[in-house]
Amino acid sequence: MSERRKQLLQMAAGAAFLVAAVVLVLIVVNASSGGDGGDTELEGAAEVNRHLQGIPQRELVLGDANAPVELLEFGDLQCPFCKGVSEEVLPSVIDGVVKSGDARLIFRNFTIIGQESVDAGAAAVAAGKQGRGWSFVEIFYRNQGRENGGFVTDEFLEAVAEAAGVENLDRWNEERKSQATLKEVKAQTEEAQQLGLGGTPTFVIKGPNTDGLEVLGTPESPGQLEAAIEAAS
Amino acid sequence: MSYPGEWTLRRAIAFVATLGVAVATYIAITEASGDSPVCLAGSTGCRTVAESSYSHVAGINIAVFGIVGYVMLLASAFFANDAARFGGFVVSLGGFGYSIFLTYIEIFKIEAICQWCVASAVLMTILFGLNAIRLIGYGGTDGTNVYGGANEREA
Repeated sequence: MSERRKQLLQMAAGAAFLVAAVVLVLIVVNASSGGDGGDTELEGAAEVNRHLQGIPQRELVLGDANAPVELLEFGDLQCPFCKGVSEEVLPSVIDGVVKSGDARLIFRNFTIIGQESVDAGAAAVAAGKQGRGWSFVEIFYRNQGRENGGFVTDEFLEAVAEAAGVENLDRWNEERKSQATLKEVKAQTEEAQQLGLGGTPTFVIKGPNTDGLEVLGTPESPGQLEAAIEAAS
Repeated sequence: MSYPGEWTLRRAIAFVATLGVAVATYIAITEASGDSPVCLAGSTGCRTVAESSYSHVAGINIAVFGIVGYVMLLASAFFANDAARFGGFVVSLGGFGYSIFLTYIEIFKIEAICQWCVASAVLMTILFGLNAIRLIGYGGTDGTNVYGGANEREA
């Protein structure tokens, strides 16, 4: 074997050992660091409850039942972009036109991501039966985990329901698992499909100045929704 | 022990590296344009992976590193010298090692599989195999007869 060849192969073997060691270290370090899901320490619950205090809630509706404009959010509770809109776009819409009684917000489940979306959606519908639907949705979004990552456990849902102020947890537990609730979630998703919606979150508006339900798409700013509400009312 | 001709190996490396460039470019473009705030119906794994903290290193999408690596491997196939053989081996070794790490992360940490990332990992594994055979079979030779299979050497 020539000296040059010997040297090359020695260097190659060294590099292989080095890479194997680095990969091993990376995996060990990552395995020992905890995951970012699975805990039931809820974030933002107090803030959400403070923000929504005094605004009427029933089913998955937030705001005055007689408000002239309906703004529907077709969302998937596991969808990270829905979480983004819930945290960055909706708060000032709620502070403005919802609190003033000009519009009401309605959440509709459009469960596109997986079974965990259906479980979460059913839990939200059941919370709505006790007038805590919108609080449930917002607190859920604040504590959202990885899509289909196994974070939607009974413990997690119960913690969200409790933080949202669902009073009768036994009834809520029964209702979220009932056929009627699951049917309702499915019907909401079917409604989204009938409207031809392709993704979440998609907003739809209905008011005196709209031709039935009008699809708005995904808002990037509160101003976009406020302008649409103004045009619809 | 006989090895496939170096010319054959280089052609195979060039072919697989080209596929790799295509796959990595596709991932990079999709992720770059994935800013539109929607979760598309039906897509889960790739979005979950793209959303995870592991999809970027130092603020750069790892698919970009993938493109650079595949282009370097493609370039190494054009030369029949020790620098190209060793360079190709080291780049594919690094890519292979990183692919193992990413696949581990996908399965055990993100708990989502993106088929495009798996495709890239498979291509990188093949490239590592080809480059290892090339280096072991032809490292330290002068690259004569590189256009045929004649320079198969006894190791």
